[in-house]
Amino acid sequence: MSQEPDLLTRRHFLRTSILGAALSWTVPLFVERTFSLLNAEAAETATQIATGKDHPILLVLQLAGGNDGLNALVPFADDLYYRARPTINIPRDKVLSLDGHVGFNPRMAPLKNLFDQGKLAVIQGVGYPNPNRSHFRSTEIWQTASDADKYVKTGWIGRYFDNCCAGEDPTVGVTIGSQLPQTFTAEKNTGIAMTPGGRLGFGKEADASEQRVFNELNGITQDHDLTSGSSIGSLNGPSEPTLSAVEYLQRTALDAQVGTDKIEAILKRTKLEAAYPKTPLGNELSLIARLISGGLPTRVYYASQGGYDTHNAQENSHNNLLGQLADALTAFSNDLTSKGIWDRVLVVSFSEFGRRVAENASKGTDHGTAAPMFICGGNVKPGLYGNHPSLSQLEQGDLIHTVDFRSVYATVLNRWMKAPASKILGRDFAALSFV
Amino acid sequence: MLSQLSKEKWTYDTAAHLAARSGFGESPSQLEQWTKQGMEATIQELLHPANDDTPTLPTCAAPNQFAELREQVREATSPDEKRQARRTLRQTTNQQLYEMINWWTQRMLTTPAPLIEKMTLFWHGHFATSGLKVRSPYKLWQQNETFRRYALGNFATLTKAVSRNPAMMVYLDLATSLLEHPNENFARELMELFTLGEGNYSEADIKESARAFTGYRIDRFEQFRFIKNQADGSNKTFLQQTGNWNGDQIIDIILKQPAAAKFISTKLWKFFAYEDPESQLIDKLAELFRQNYEIRPLLETIFSSEEFYSQRARDAIVKSPVQYVVESGRTLGVNLPTGRTLFVVYQRMGQVPFFPPNVKGWDGGKSWINTATLTFRYQLARQLVLGIRMLNNPPSLKAPQVSSLAQASPSAEASPSAQASPSAQTGSLTAQNFVRLPALPVEQLVTAEERKDPEAAVRKIYARAFQTAPDPQLFDRILAVAKLKPLPLADDAIRDLVALMMMTPNYQVC
Repeated sequence: MSQEPDLLTRRHFLRTSILGAALSWTVPLFVERTFSLLNAEAAETATQIATGKDHPILLVLQLAGGNDGLNALVPFADDLYYRARPTINIPRDKVLSLDGHVGFNPRMAPLKNLFDQGKLAVIQGVGYPNPNRSHFRSTEIWQTASDADKYVKTGWIGRYFDNCCAGEDPTVGVTIGSQLPQTFTAEKNTGIAMTPGGRLGFGKEADASEQRVFNELNGITQDHDLTSGSSIGSLNGPSEPTLSAVEYLQRTALDAQVGTDKIEAILKRTKLEAAYPKTPLGNELSLIARLISGGLPTRVYYASQGGYDTHNAQENSHNNLLGQLADALTAFSNDLTSKGIWDRVLVVSFSEFGRRVAENASKGTDHGTAAPMFICGGNVKPGLYGNHPSLSQLEQGDLIHTVDFRSVYATVLNRWMKAPASKILGRDFAALSFV
Repeated sequence: MLSQLSKEKWTYDTAAHLAARSGFGESPSQLEQWTKQGMEATIQELLHPANDDTPTLPTCAAPNQFAELREQVREATSPDEKRQARRTLRQTTNQQLYEMINWWTQRMLTTPAPLIEKMTLFWHGHFATSGLKVRSPYKLWQQNETFRRYALGNFATLTKAVSRNPAMMVYLDLATSLLEHPNENFARELMELFTLGEGNYSEADIKESARAFTGYRIDRFEQFRFIKNQADGSNKTFLQQTGNWNGDQIIDIILKQPAAAKFISTKLWKFFAYEDPESQLIDKLAELFRQNYEIRPLLETIFSSEEFYSQRARDAIVKSPVQYVVESGRTLGVNLPTGRTLFVVYQRMGQVPFFPPNVKGWDGGKSWINTATLTFRYQLARQLVLGIRMLNNPPSLKAPQVSSLAQASPSAEASPSAQASPSAQTGSLTAQNFVRLPALPVEQLVTAEERKDPEAAVRKIYARAFQTAPDPQLFDRILAVAKLKPLPLADDAIRDLVALMMMTPNYQVC
C-alpha cells in the first residue's frame, strides 16, 4: 500500500513527460515498448525483463552457401563415403576421430581441442522435411523456422525479441553487417545492424549547429539516456499506437543513434587485447567479444562466414573455410575465457543446407540437405548428438535428416534463453540436452 | 467513397502528390504546367503517354547469347579449363545483369511516361522472379518488357502473358512440369500471390490447375512453346467447374471469383495511396475492376479520388529504394551510380531490381527501414550530392547474391564508398579502384540571384526535394542552417543544404 502512490506518481510522470501527445514521436521505440509490454499478454511469457549483466548470450553464426557437412564431420568408418567421393574425400588416417565413426576435418584441429575440453557439442544430421535446395529459400526456412511449404515473415530470434524482450534497448540484437538477417525480423523489436563506422550523423565536418538541426529533424533528443532503466518495465501503459511513416522513421533514427552511440562508447573504452586471426570472421568475432565484455545489453549476436557454396574444386577452399572457422572460434573462446565470460555465451552455427553425398564432375559438391551444427560455449554439455544420417538410404542422392533444426532451436530457447520455445516456434519440438 | 476531387482542391500540392505517387517526382515547371491544365487532363496524360520513342536496348535484349559459353563449359576437358569457362560464363552473365539494372534505372529516370515505369515496377514486385534462379538476363528483360507492354492494359491478358514468360516458367518450375508429375509451384503461387490470396482455393484446386499448365516449354531461342503431347488433355475440376481446361481458361475462371478483383485492387491502393484501406473503398474499386479487369479505369478512379489526396494519404508511403534513387536523380539532379556500384547501393537499401527476395516480392512499407538501411540512406545522400565513388575496375565479379549470402562473403564485397564502410571491410581496395562521379550540379537548382537570398534558395531546393508545400517547422530549421552560411551561397553550401534535406525522415516518404 505504501508503494502505491509512488508508483502512480512515477507512472503519471512518465506518461505525461514522455508519452505526452506532442512529444510522443520523440520517444525511442524501445521505451515505447516498455510501456506497451505490460499487460496480461506479456506476463504470460514467464520471462523476466531485467537486463542485468549476467543474462545468457547467444551468438548465431551462419555458414553461408551450404557447408559440406560430410567433409567437416567425416563418417570415416563408412566405405560408402569413400566410394561416393573418390577424389575429394578426407583420408581416413587424417580424420580427427570423435567416436570411432565420425571425426573432424584435420583443419578443424582447434575445434577438436574444444571438443576434448568439453566446450563443444556437435549435432549430427540436422535438417527438415521436404528440403529445399535453393540458397535463399532454404536460408529463409532456417531463419524463420518455418515448414518448407510455409512462408513466415518474422525470424525465430525476432519472435524471441517480441515475446521476451519488450521494453529493451535496441541493441538487444546486434548483427555485424549492413543487412539485418531475417532471423531478427520481428513485429516490434528488430535489433540493430552495425557496420564499423556506420554512424548516424550529419557528417564528419558538420559544425555543431548543422548536427543539432540534423538531430532535431530526426527526432533525436539528447536525453535518451533517461530510459536505460528496466524498472519501468513493470508499469502499465498504453499499447503501442499506430505510428505514421514519419514517426516510424524518427524512431528508427533514434534507435540507430542510441545503438551506435553505445557501441562506439564501448569500442572506445575497450581495446583489442586477444589475438584473433585476420579473417573476416576473426574480425567479426573480436568485435563481438569487445561488445560483450563492454557490457552491451545484447541478448543475441549474429555473425556470418560466407563462401561455402563449393561447386567445384572444393578441396582447398572448403578446408580453408573450416580452418578459418576453427581458428576464429578458438580465439573467441580463449578471449572470453580469459575475461571470465565464456560461461555466459553460447555459439550456434548453421548452414542453409549440406551438400550432396556424391562429388560432382568438377571435384566439388552440389546443393544437398542435412548437415551438422556446431555448438560451443563455456556451459555447453559436450559430445555428439543425434544420429549420423545413413549413407546407404538416401533420398534423390541426399542425406535424410535425423534431427529437425527446430529441435535445436527449441533447446536453445528453452534451456539457454529461458524462453517459451513452443510459443516462439509455433509448436513443440523435442528438446536435446546439449545445454 | 471515391468521389472525384473537386476542381478547386486541385493545386500545385496535389499535382506534386500525384507526380510522386504515379511516378518519380517532377520538376517545378512540369508541376506548374500540371496545376494549370487541371487534374483530369493530367491523369489522361499519365494514362495515355506519348510514345517513348525507341529507347536504347540493353545488351541482353537478344536471346541465346550464352550458348557458346555454355558449350565451352560442357566441352572443357581439364578441370582448370572448366573452371575458367564457368567463370567467364558467370562474369559475362553478371555483367549483363548489372547493365540491365542500370538500363532500367536510367529509363525510369528519363522516361516521358513515368506511370508506365511505375506500374512496370509494381508488376515486377507482384509477379516476382529473381535473377538468382532465372539467371538469363534475356529472359528477365523479356519479362520486364511484358510488364511494360501491359502495364496499363488488361490484367487477364497480363496474367496469361506472364504464365508464358520464360522467366516465370523457370522461376516457378513450369518449364519442367511433367505430364505424369505436374509441378504445383506455379499453380499455387498463381492463386496465393498473383490473383486470389490465401484462403480462396483448396489444395485440390492447386493439383487440378497444375495439370492445366502442363506442356509449357522453353525452346532453344528462349521463347515459350506449347508441347501438346506433354499437356494434360483430360478433365479437371477447378473451383467447382469441370472441363478440359487449359492454362488460360484456368486464369479466366480465377478472375471470375470476386476475391481476385478485391485482391488486386487492395494491392494497388496500398501501393499508390495508403495501408489498411477502408473495406467499402476496396469493395467499390473491386466492383469496377471486375467488370473487365482493365487497369486504366481503375487507376483513373484511384488518382482522381478524394481519398487519394486526403490527409491520410499524405506522406504515408515510405519510398522504396528504387523510388529514392530515381527520384533523387529526377528531381534534384544528383548523378546516379551505375554498374556494380548501383547494384551494391540497391542491395544495401534492400531492393535490387530483378532480384526480389522471394516469390512474394518486396514487403515494402515500413519494412524498407531498419537502423542499417536508414543509416545507409543518410550516408548515401551525402555521397550522391558530393559525387559517389564508383568501383572502377572491380577486382573480381561475384555473382549477385541474396543479402544474407552477400553480407557474409568476405572482403571483395566492396562497399560503394570508403565512408560508408571503412578500412575493416574494404582494406584491400585502393584508391585506384574508384572513380568519383561529378558532384551535384547546383546551377540548375538555384540562380545567382537566389544564392544571395537564403530564403529564396531554400524555398527552391525544398520544392524539388520534398515535392510539397513547405512544412513550416521543417522549412525554418533548414533555413536556420542556410542563414549561417556566407552569402552568396557557395556550391558546397548548397550541396550541404540538399544533403541535409535528404537526411530527414520526411525525405524518405512521399
